[in-house]
Amino acid sequence: MIEIYTTVIFLFVLFALLGGSVWIGLALMGVAWVGMELFTSRPAGDAMITTIWSGASSWTLTALPLFIWMGEILYRTRLSEDMFRGLAPWMRFLPGGLLHTNIAGCTIFAAVSGSSAATLNMVGKMSIPELRARGYPEYMIIGTLAGAATLGLMIPPSLTLIVYGVSINESITKLFMAGVFPGLVLAGLFMLYIIGWHFLSPGQRPKPEPRLSLGEMIAESRFLLPLFGLVFVVIGSMYTGFATATEAAAVGVLGALGLSLMQGSLSWATFVESLMGATRTSAMIAFILMGAAFLSLSMGFTGLPRALAGLIDSYNLSPIALIAVLTVFYLILGMFMDGLSSVVLTMAIVEPMIRQAGIDVIWFGIFLVVVIETAQVTPPIGFNLFVLQGMTRHEISYIAKTAVPMVALMLLMVVILVVWPELATWLPENIRRQ
Amino acid sequence: MRDWQPVLGLPLWVWLFVVPTTLMLLCILRPAAMRRVLQPLWGALDRIYNGAGAIAALFMVAILLLIVGQMGARWASLTFPGSTEYAGYAMAATSFFALAYTLTHGGHIRVSIFLNLGGRHHFWLDAGAMLISALTATYFARYAIKTNVLSEMLNDRTQGQDFAPEWLLTAVSMFGTWPWNWAALWAESGSGWVYTPVWLPQLPMSIGTVLLAIALWDYLARMLVTGAPQIKGEVLE
Repeated sequence: MIEIYTTVIFLFVLFALLGGSVWIGLALMGVAWVGMELFTSRPAGDAMITTIWSGASSWTLTALPLFIWMGEILYRTRLSEDMFRGLAPWMRFLPGGLLHTNIAGCTIFAAVSGSSAATLNMVGKMSIPELRARGYPEYMIIGTLAGAATLGLMIPPSLTLIVYGVSINESITKLFMAGVFPGLVLAGLFMLYIIGWHFLSPGQRPKPEPRLSLGEMIAESRFLLPLFGLVFVVIGSMYTGFATATEAAAVGVLGALGLSLMQGSLSWATFVESLMGATRTSAMIAFILMGAAFLSLSMGFTGLPRALAGLIDSYNLSPIALIAVLTVFYLILGMFMDGLSSVVLTMAIVEPMIRQAGIDVIWFGIFLVVVIETAQVTPPIGFNLFVLQGMTRHEISYIAKTAVPMVALMLLMVVILVVWPELATWLPENIRRQ
Repeated sequence: MRDWQPVLGLPLWVWLFVVPTTLMLLCILRPAAMRRVLQPLWGALDRIYNGAGAIAALFMVAILLLIVGQMGARWASLTFPGSTEYAGYAMAATSFFALAYTLTHGGHIRVSIFLNLGGRHHFWLDAGAMLISALTATYFARYAIKTNVLSEMLNDRTQGQDFAPEWLLTAVSMFGTWPWNWAALWAESGSGWVYTPVWLPQLPMSIGTVLLAIALWDYLARMLVTGAPQIKGEVLE
């Protein structure tokens, strides 16, 4: 059969271009072009631009740059110092002590930023030196941070969920809402792990923190309250149907600007830096999406998605088995690619499969994020590992080892999601509509 | 419109793909001579990429203002016709204008397991990847321009409720003709608002993709003549 040969050529080109370190957006375009030439007589170039133009100029996508910008502004404020000072008084009573600031800090920053690298940088910048000074064991500091930073992908706003929503044409607001509870549960699991460590290895506990009065505690966390307010407004406005995801992002940008003005850390230079940084990140993601849009058009002509969906159908693969297969598949893919690229690369093929199997696409988005999070902290390619390496100068292998318990917890999270899908689906089904 | 019709006696694809590739070969064979020729251009080209990046940032601010305006209008029970289309155009403009700027600042990502292996092969792998990227980007730019020109020729209008002032259309389109026609063009231009012709928001796509292609060829040449990758601060995963 000629189809088999052409499919093999197509896949070979895909791996050659990606593995040959061609920029991902261009690699996807190149593969898509080969697919168009092999499988259809339609003019490739014209179809390419029509698809890319309608994708790149879509209104749904505008949530992306605004949420990135919001994160960038807050990233350049003195937020990380304030966050540590504000959280520490409240965390010292918990078994496991200030290690919990890693988890809580990541959770809070995840709620204003959509990327796990930014979350990691932001929280780690302050918490690593502080925790080291207090004598917490290194492997706990690094491990919990590596794990918790991945919450940036899950807790709204999440860039991965925006990209997922844009690629499969689903409501971004719904996806964001779906991420709230699983994100909090995952954070809870990380905290339980720290508590468990506290009781199981009493010899490693540092000496307890001095007492503070309630007044002092509130005074220390005064900078945290406006941030909580911002999170509340951004997520609340989406939940109540008061604003769309894009509008919530615009509110977030204005709020972040206001917050940093109030804090006195917003200068013209930081404003320009945040704007240019956001422009670059946004263009990077938009470029991948352009390639992905053309690739999914071309993928449709190759017949691969239909064939695979048919295969799933003919094997009578149960949804659980399919999820298990996809988990392994994404973990392997995640060893070589970053999360965003593996989402856009595979959606054209995976979407028909999961729809065929009757899996809820909103739920699947959350599942996908957990698996991608896991891939972020597994070697050889794990973005969080690289960021942490840059911050701590430890070997990648050491950081990866400290994160092993977190990987186990995230895989446990996948199981929890399969057993209780309502965790992800309940909130989006109950959004109030205006 | 035929796709690859001859320009100055040679098929278009020769100009777009073969000529730059030959230049890159020259850069490999005669790095010193090519460096003397190309180096004076580098500063100006970098300023152009950065300028496009600044324009992209302005469009990012425009998205924010449009969305805020849309919300304000809704709360005041007014309508802001076409606001979603305008925001979409601004989105496209910010993405396309920033493509080259993001590239030269190491912002675009790629799979780099093989690049990280290091050694002599690293250089040639990187050069090969840049060559393929440059060829693909050139193809992208060529069809972006074709689509943009076709939109203008077919007088393609928006599907939405967005309008553009005629003076803006004239102010942009006059650069598509010789200066001695400008007076006639302005005389014909009305003062009303018309449904946005698609070619106007598509212009950033043409400009941005052309800049991206130029930037890729440019940085490939810089790498070949200097013997080291010139994209600084690239996040290699």
